Amino acid sequence: MAPSAGHLRPGRYLAFFALLVVALYALVFFTGDGKPTPKLGIDLQGGTRVTLTARTPDGGQPTRDQLNQARQIIETRVNGIGVGGTNVVLDGNNVVITVPGEQGDQAKNLGRTAKLGFREVITSQPNTPAGPQGQPGTSPSPSAPPATGQPGGGGGAEGAPAQQPPGSAPPSSSAGDGQTPVEQARKVRQNPDLTGSDQAKAQAAQQAALAALTCAPNAADPLEGNDLPNQPLVTCGDKDATKYVLGPEFLPGTEISDANSGYDQQRGQWVVDLTFKGAGGKTWGDFTSSHVGKQAAFVLDTDVVSAPTIQGAILGGNTQITGQFTQGDAKNLADILKYGSLPLSFDSSDATTVSATLGLASLEAGLIAGAVGLIVVFIYCLFYYRLLGILTIWSLAMAELLVYAVLVLLGRWIGYTLDLAGVAGLIIAIGITADSFVIYFERLKDEIREGRTFRSAVPRGWTRARRTILASDAVSFLAAAILYIIAVGDVQGFAFTLGMSTLLDLVVVYLVTHPLVAMVSTARSKFLSNPRNLGLGSVQRMGAQRKAARSAARRTNVKEA
Amino acid sequence: MYVGTGALDIIGVRKRWYLAFALLVLVCLGSMIFRGFHLGIEFEGGTQIQLPARGAQGEITQSQVIGSFQKALGEQPAETQQVGAGASATFQLRSEALDAASVEKVKKQLFTDLAPIGSNGQPSERAISDSAVSASWGGEISRQALIALGVFLVAVVIFLAIYFDTRMAAAALISLLHDILVTAGLYSLVGFEVTPATVIGLLTILGFSLYDTVVVFDKVRENTRGLLGLSRRTYGEAANLALNQTLMRSFNTAFIALLPILGLLIVGSILLGSGTLQDLALVQLIGTLVGVLSSVALATPLLVDFKMRDPKYRQQAERVRARRAKAASRETGGDFDANDDDQLAAELRKEKAYAAAAGVPARTPKARPRPSAKPRPSAKKKR
Repeated sequence: MAPSAGHLRPGRYLAFFALLVVALYALVFFTGDGKPTPKLGIDLQGGTRVTLTARTPDGGQPTRDQLNQARQIIETRVNGIGVGGTNVVLDGNNVVITVPGEQGDQAKNLGRTAKLGFREVITSQPNTPAGPQGQPGTSPSPSAPPATGQPGGGGGAEGAPAQQPPGSAPPSSSAGDGQTPVEQARKVRQNPDLTGSDQAKAQAAQQAALAALTCAPNAADPLEGNDLPNQPLVTCGDKDATKYVLGPEFLPGTEISDANSGYDQQRGQWVVDLTFKGAGGKTWGDFTSSHVGKQAAFVLDTDVVSAPTIQGAILGGNTQITGQFTQGDAKNLADILKYGSLPLSFDSSDATTVSATLGLASLEAGLIAGAVGLIVVFIYCLFYYRLLGILTIWSLAMAELLVYAVLVLLGRWIGYTLDLAGVAGLIIAIGITADSFVIYFERLKDEIREGRTFRSAVPRGWTRARRTILASDAVSFLAAAILYIIAVGDVQGFAFTLGMSTLLDLVVVYLVTHPLVAMVSTARSKFLSNPRNLGLGSVQRMGAQRKAARSAARRTNVKEA
Repeated sequence: MYVGTGALDIIGVRKRWYLAFALLVLVCLGSMIFRGFHLGIEFEGGTQIQLPARGAQGEITQSQVIGSFQKALGEQPAETQQVGAGASATFQLRSEALDAASVEKVKKQLFTDLAPIGSNGQPSERAISDSAVSASWGGEISRQALIALGVFLVAVVIFLAIYFDTRMAAAALISLLHDILVTAGLYSLVGFEVTPATVIGLLTILGFSLYDTVVVFDKVRENTRGLLGLSRRTYGEAANLALNQTLMRSFNTAFIALLPILGLLIVGSILLGSGTLQDLALVQLIGTLVGVLSSVALATPLLVDFKMRDPKYRQQAERVRARRAKAASRETGGDFDANDDDQLAAELRKEKAYAAAAGVPARTPKARPRPSAKPRPSAKKKR
């Protein structure tokens, strides 16, 4: 930047800025789809957003690999639904699914962990004394609505199968809160003694675990998706109608290569057909051969989906899961199994569907608020700084022009979506941008107060104002950058626009505001160089008075000396 | 004040300011401890359903909405309110956390009963928005926000310590902490709802609060450059002058920052009712006011006190006093008392003589200024 007005050629800076604007807008209109609109978040255009928070069995931090894997699996599940424009991104420990438009409701079920495993049934007992004693897996009583077994968009706290360890947290607290409930539940319900060789001990452990389990509908299970596969498990099943004592997992769900739902004409119910991978098929065949007449349990997220009695050896790598399925249930289960089980359990932290109406209203409110903000700042600047106010308005307009182009381009290049918080950030940034001009103009006033002319005040004032502007913008940018990197959720959109506006503010102050002020100060026009028109009149009178007073003081001192 | 010459003595009465700030902080702390916060749905967990207030059969009433909800689930929503105005008026229903199936049920029932009209002018179930938040979500956001806050404070201290010096960094940090406490305290006192958006907003206030402090401190630093070598004024006086010179600027920056925020708050409330926009705007509004006040009346006084702990600055202040006493005795032959008629007459005669001599050109530019003269930053250094 030129150090003095003598060397500053304002025209060049302005020309450079004009070139920048032309280049940006050329990119806006002639690259990509050429549509000059930024990408809008679902809260501005309507749609569904589901935030899934990862939770690990031990309450520790999930690894990057696990998160990435989970993200990919969820993405495949999304594609399986077949809704266009869906976006799955990682945000800290969260997987955020965004579905624009109106078909997003299904996305609320995508976070199902779907940790499927096969366990041997040691024993089972009905949940309520009045409950039916029928053959488990073939005719369990539907004691709860079908949705109960499907932890959905409502989060891990709702719709989860109904188990409660003794003294566990109330239903409203989710299992993600800490590791204590999980550990507590494991101690009782995954006690190694359950299947131990010591008969008496095993009996006692089973009694304790079964007694601890209430299987009440709509209660959260802290163990959900967090059971240890190599330990026995006591859990509920058949829509909470039966309590099971299960052996360790002998075959993990990852051995499944394909899954399809279908209608079994013979049984008259919906079923899920599974195909195993090579090794899995062999394990399944071996197990079924040696356990004819016994029950095997399909455990999905710690919940027994079905526990059929093995009629004979099932060789060839195919099998069927039956249960009280509706068509939707069966399809959901098949999809989840087909697209892989997640390496982590997820809680639905936030599931939001914004109607297009509300989105439009929000967008309008944001635009109106922005326009109102700009106009009141314009009026204030005109009132307070007169001609300089016009420069401010021009500079602000230029800044907004830049911001808009950059928003469009970022939406295209890095998929940046402008959400409601981002709009708020933009509006608040109007103030920060205008502040830079205030700092500069007040500096000019300082210089004129010292008795300088407007013309000579500009280079001096600029050098000093520049430092302050740089320092204060650095602080603002620092705040925005840290927020952007660390925080989650809406914060990012807000921090992003705030930080971007701060940077663009610097560009505008250097390339537009200062060159324009310099031009005005060196203009030969009487009107332009009259400080009164620049809102500097009283300050200049003041400066002149002071100059006079100073020289008077000087003279008296001289006389005295 | 307009031209920045207003000689408000802020530094001189700083003890009073400290007392006022201490009281404020105590009240805020007390309120936070005993009253707590009104936490939003994101912290408590729950489901919010929102639908347009216009249906196919005309305006929808609150009792209709509640009735419909009850029909679907057998219980009443925990909270129902109508927000926004005109075409964008909506109803917000809040309840304990519902699972996806229950939400679907409520939405179906609301549509069957009330047929809210969507953006395309047709009644549609898609015109109903819903949002289900787990109780841990707000905590998750807040936890990240607190981490961000910690990192920000550390980064800022480092930045300020490099750009200014450690004492300035310390003063700025204390006033920053004050801003956080008081803003949070006001939220607790007034009972505004705390949402994740509020927490975010609180963090960005810090940027602004510091921004303002940086502007003031920059001027303080400029005014005190080479101060130790001079005996014209003490650090406190220089800082007070800087405050007065930047007061109008502080006022202007705050005002200009507040204008769009106010616009956001008002427009947002009228058109949308409660939500992200208002939450952000409200916390910014409070924080900006608190931030400006603290950067003027807390950060700078603290800075002066910190600086005066340094013996160098105390000795310099001593020299200033000594020099003033000497100058005063030389000029008026003792303390000038404006109530003494004789002295006043003598002083007036002197002024007249000065005025008469005003036509004589100065012979030496290195004249000493009178103690009452306003400082000139361009003055040459004197030993």
